[in-house]
Amino acid sequence: MGFTFAEKILAKKSGRDKAAAGEIVTVTPDRILSHDNAAAISRIFQKLGRNKVVNPDKIVIILDHCVPAANEKYALNHKEIREFVTEQGIKGFYDVGTGICHQVLPERGYAFPGLLILGSDSHTTTYGAFGAFATGIGRSEAAVLWATDHLWLRVPETYRIEVEGTFPRWVSAKDLILYIIGELGADGALYKAVEFCGPTIEKMSIAGRMVLCNMAVEMGAKIGYVPPDEKTFHWLGPRVRENYEVITSDPDAAYERVIHYKVSNLLPQIACPHQVDNVKAVYEVSGTKIHQALIGTCTNGRMDDLEVAASVLKGKRIAPGVRLLVFPASLEVYREAWVKGDLLQLAEAGAIIMNPGCGPCLGAHEGVLAPGEVCLSTANRNFRGRMGCRDASIYLASPATVAASALKGHITDVQSL
Amino acid sequence: MKRPVVIKERVWVLRDEQGMAIDDIDTDQIYHNAHLAITELEKMGQFALGNLPGWEDFPQKAKPGDILIVGRNFGAGSSRQQAVDCFRSLGIALIIGESFGAIYKRNAVNSGFPLLICPGIISQPGKIDSGNILEVNLSAGEVYNHTTGKKIEGGERFSQVQMDVYQAGNLFEYEKTILT
Repeated sequence: MGFTFAEKILAKKSGRDKAAAGEIVTVTPDRILSHDNAAAISRIFQKLGRNKVVNPDKIVIILDHCVPAANEKYALNHKEIREFVTEQGIKGFYDVGTGICHQVLPERGYAFPGLLILGSDSHTTTYGAFGAFATGIGRSEAAVLWATDHLWLRVPETYRIEVEGTFPRWVSAKDLILYIIGELGADGALYKAVEFCGPTIEKMSIAGRMVLCNMAVEMGAKIGYVPPDEKTFHWLGPRVRENYEVITSDPDAAYERVIHYKVSNLLPQIACPHQVDNVKAVYEVSGTKIHQALIGTCTNGRMDDLEVAASVLKGKRIAPGVRLLVFPASLEVYREAWVKGDLLQLAEAGAIIMNPGCGPCLGAHEGVLAPGEVCLSTANRNFRGRMGCRDASIYLASPATVAASALKGHITDVQSL
Repeated sequence: MKRPVVIKERVWVLRDEQGMAIDDIDTDQIYHNAHLAITELEKMGQFALGNLPGWEDFPQKAKPGDILIVGRNFGAGSSRQQAVDCFRSLGIALIIGESFGAIYKRNAVNSGFPLLICPGIISQPGKIDSGNILEVNLSAGEVYNHTTGKKIEGGERFSQVQMDVYQAGNLFEYEKTILT
């Protein structure tokens, strides 16, 4: 019997010949990611009584959660982080304005096949799209990693999700992952490694694969993973200088479950308040009035997303009473969308073009909601109170659905336009 | 063994107004993002469950030593450690759940805060109610309800690493023991 990707990579990173699902291994990661919470991590680290981090070259810190700082408290956190990275000789530091960590890390060549990436953010799973084993940890764990370079992990069992068929017009990776989460539930893949494969995934863009891996955590998954292929190597080509080893599951690996999906008849999907697995087809809730529409976040703030939104809104005007906020995921995306004209088209349609960053997704600033308001967002979470206000409602959908809904002023099936 | 392996205390059972288990309670309901700027452990307790309808007054009701019983996938969502620390802040002795969010579980285990998995403890009726006195053996995974006089089956014993971190106090102390 062969081994899964998760078993193979965790054996390698723990210096063992082999590891089996369910075992506890002590690993040494290749990257340790954090963002604005590096301030809290550095305070925990200092209490551990160590002066220097073990390996500053493994640490990457990208400020994105509340950028630029919304108040003195956040400003102080950012200042502490700048001082800490200087003092510790951490070169992988990206200040306010570079973008969301889950976009910047791959863009800057830190995420590639065969790496073990641990990050103090739950959406660290995104880098599975590049063939890495990437998962979220807590801030105390991150501090201990800075201090010791070791952490125990449980080797997860693996679900293999095979997808076939061609997406109908306006339907994309976001609709697929929402559909899967709706089917499996918020704990449907709890502690599991989830591999996405099959003809649909092979044809899917890197951006689409990032959406799947990003949201795998919303069904409880430890990691999302897409086997690397020519498309991956091509994307990484200009960004990664190091050689890398591609690790994939053996053909006879033991999967706990194999699940099949077909997308040829998939309808646009939407997650309704207040849980990500409360998924319906968009037409079932169409007509629901919205006050704010958001395109961006680590789920859907890439070129693919801005292009599709611009193609829906080009030459038109969003409905009165709707605020459309657009957050390119990174400076690189911002520039490209600027040069290609997408941002101008969106702005002319009435969108507010914001700076790269997490924006109001986690309720910190830049567009939090008021009681009774409804927001339709391309983000990954719609928990009660997620965007600041407990008495507001959040729906999640694809950029195409959000753009179409901003145009009409209510939730709209983009296929009906 | 430095820390207690048997815990006997009063329980709070996280049910809704209809008496049903509340599953998939996310970290924003446990510890709302409005309080993320707070870094002192002792100030976090007052916000525990503050965004969970019907349970906003939990910090006033709970006493140090109490046990909390929760449903499936408790602590889903973000990696926010305050969602564990707020219970430590209140002095909660133990959380028993049908299952836990993966990062939530790690955050608790690595803070040396005891979590025990016991499928069915809420969803199967008649096993437990708020105010019952429970006796729990962490290393054996045994759960005994003193109020009903019945054993509750299904408790999962602590794994070796979970017990080692618990006894060491926290992850850093544990790492020191395995590195030396």
